[in-house]
Amino acid sequence: MLLNPWSIALCLISVLALCLIAAAGRTALNVLRYWDPASDSNRQIRLENETWLASTLVQNAMGLQVVSLILFTLAADKFSAVINGAMCATGSLLANQYGMPALYIKLAGVFLYGFWIVLHKLDISREDYPLLRLKFIYLLILLPFLLGDITLQTLYLLNLHPNIITSCCAVVYSSGQGGGMNLLGSLNGSTLVIMFYAAGMLLYALGLVNRKWPSRSIMFADGLLWLLFLWLALVSITVVFSSYVYAMPYHHCPFCILKPQYYYIGYLIYLTLFPAVFFGLAAPAVEPFRHRAGLETVIAAFQRRAGWLSLVLLTLFMITVSWHYVLYKLLGGQT
Amino acid sequence: MSLAKQLNILDYALQGLWRRRLKTGGIVIIFSAVIFLAASFQFTIKALNNLVDQDLQATPEIIIQKMSAGRQESIPLDYIKKLKGIWGIRRVVPRIWGYYFDATTKANYTVIGLNYKKMPMGGLLDKALIKGSLLPGSGEALVGTGVKEALRLPAKGAMLSLFRPDYSLKALKVSGEFMPSTDILTTDTILMNLADSRDLFGIKPGLVTDLCVYVANPREVTTIARKIAARLPDTRVVPKSQIKETYREVFGWRGGFASICLLTAIAAFIIFAWDKASGMNPDEKREVAILKVIGWQTADILGLRFYEGFIVSFMSFLLGCSLAYAHVSFMGAGLFRPILTGWSVIHPEMVLRPGLEFSDIFLIFSLVVPPYMAATIVPAWRSAIIPPDAAVN
Repeated sequence: MLLNPWSIALCLISVLALCLIAAAGRTALNVLRYWDPASDSNRQIRLENETWLASTLVQNAMGLQVVSLILFTLAADKFSAVINGAMCATGSLLANQYGMPALYIKLAGVFLYGFWIVLHKLDISREDYPLLRLKFIYLLILLPFLLGDITLQTLYLLNLHPNIITSCCAVVYSSGQGGGMNLLGSLNGSTLVIMFYAAGMLLYALGLVNRKWPSRSIMFADGLLWLLFLWLALVSITVVFSSYVYAMPYHHCPFCILKPQYYYIGYLIYLTLFPAVFFGLAAPAVEPFRHRAGLETVIAAFQRRAGWLSLVLLTLFMITVSWHYVLYKLLGGQT
Repeated sequence: MSLAKQLNILDYALQGLWRRRLKTGGIVIIFSAVIFLAASFQFTIKALNNLVDQDLQATPEIIIQKMSAGRQESIPLDYIKKLKGIWGIRRVVPRIWGYYFDATTKANYTVIGLNYKKMPMGGLLDKALIKGSLLPGSGEALVGTGVKEALRLPAKGAMLSLFRPDYSLKALKVSGEFMPSTDILTTDTILMNLADSRDLFGIKPGLVTDLCVYVANPREVTTIARKIAARLPDTRVVPKSQIKETYREVFGWRGGFASICLLTAIAAFIIFAWDKASGMNPDEKREVAILKVIGWQTADILGLRFYEGFIVSFMSFLLGCSLAYAHVSFMGAGLFRPILTGWSVIHPEMVLRPGLEFSDIFLIFSLVVPPYMAATIVPAWRSAIIPPDAAVN
């Protein structure tokens, strides 16, 4: 189903992102081969200028990746109208084996590009660019990752086959997906909610402890907890919280909350959850570079800011995700 | 980076754009035109889909057609008896649905013959009539607005003269006319009762073209359709959802085809934008150099260029989308409708109402804005690395 405005937009954005990252990759190769801070040759000056181009390119690619992620979920939702048996994005993403992997790799991509930008910001805070080599090696790793993203997306789009009236009955009735809207089967809802809120509370506790008495082990524990929390949050949104948004006990779907009939509350939920996790992970992720020349204060300041930001975003996320749930529990019914 | 600094850069970007208003204006106008094209297509498709959804509401849940040698042929009325005992079927209504080619106007009319008294909401059919609330009796017919115009039928006492397959004439009295609001479905329609249409097409008694199955519970449609297909193996069973999906797919396909054509326009615009952004005159070069002298960093200039690009895209996007919305909803998408609705002689007159959603706007945004932003990165960087001493040279 490539000849569809949504598919075309997705492909267009992918091609653009690939061009940007490939151009940045060229700079990366040059830097890794010829970078010599002691030199004042023309080539060194050109390279210094080119690092600016590379960083701008990656920042734009990161923006494109976010656009691509949103576009992909919206497109999956739109495709459900033409795919027999699909009722929302879940159905269309499960229509072939490439849908969910494509979504995951896009999500992971946003985080990976984001970490690159963090690395870049730390790097340019010092005149001597202490993280330069590392940053450009990382950039070269992003390229195959992006290629994987594009391959999965293209495979997904190519293998989507809407059924057309003229096709025979055997095809027409082949893919009855039934009412299975739940991606994760049946998990015990109340245990999940307790785990979810407990993990949230623990994140606050660790975050505050870390502010007061910064320590390496607590920071890494915090990072691991953020990963666990991301998983818990996604599962509990799917299994528990989404039903309260729809006011339908049997409707569990992480995508329908993005629809206009629920006032786009899903965007608020995901656009607070993912940045919160991102900053939560960014703080421990930069810890290994703390001992590079002159980065100590910069990294400490960044970690403090990232920790604080992640807690603020976590609060916003907790409020939006719990809103319908708590309201229902307090009022004993749907308002 | 503090907020105040960013605001100052934004302020400077706005001033700069205003200073070069001729250049900025030119880019905004051309960019809006490209966005206008893309958005008009998208809004038209959206509106057509809305229309189809709305108009298919009252159609039968399942249609059965007899197939022979891979082609459709008339279905015997006896088949209705074979469906007895399938629970959930509310009613089966035989129908004759055919096309009549009128050589004088070179138009195809859709002739529908059915026993509307048997339809679940057949009594409501007269609600769709502009004139004559009586349903057609024997020797009478209802016509759509398109048919009326094509044949230049008089307002009163109009008669239709149609040829049977053996060229003998069949005369029908026009007893009413469909409302223009149902045009997408009825504009080329001539509706009459079953006996008259059978007579017109020379179909043998006891045969019709297809059977309409009405199902009470929409969730049972798939199961019932499967049962029908098992009992009547020589038929094609088409549920309504399939018709809807096919319409969407067709509009989606045409929209996609149009988007491909639009890509050329977008590509042309990108080359234009690239060219405009890279062709810096000496004044602009000196400006950047002076900014560098007074302490701006490369990152600040890159930020400045980003804001400029953002403002230009934002204004063009707003302008292009507003114009496209006006074009579709007030002017009926006059520029593109022929591409999206088909090529027949009788075109339905319809009111297009694109109910806007975030997703549609976002789709248009991602088709046009990222290419522009990407095209201006390298020129922006070229301008940002101008050394401060360029001001003196």
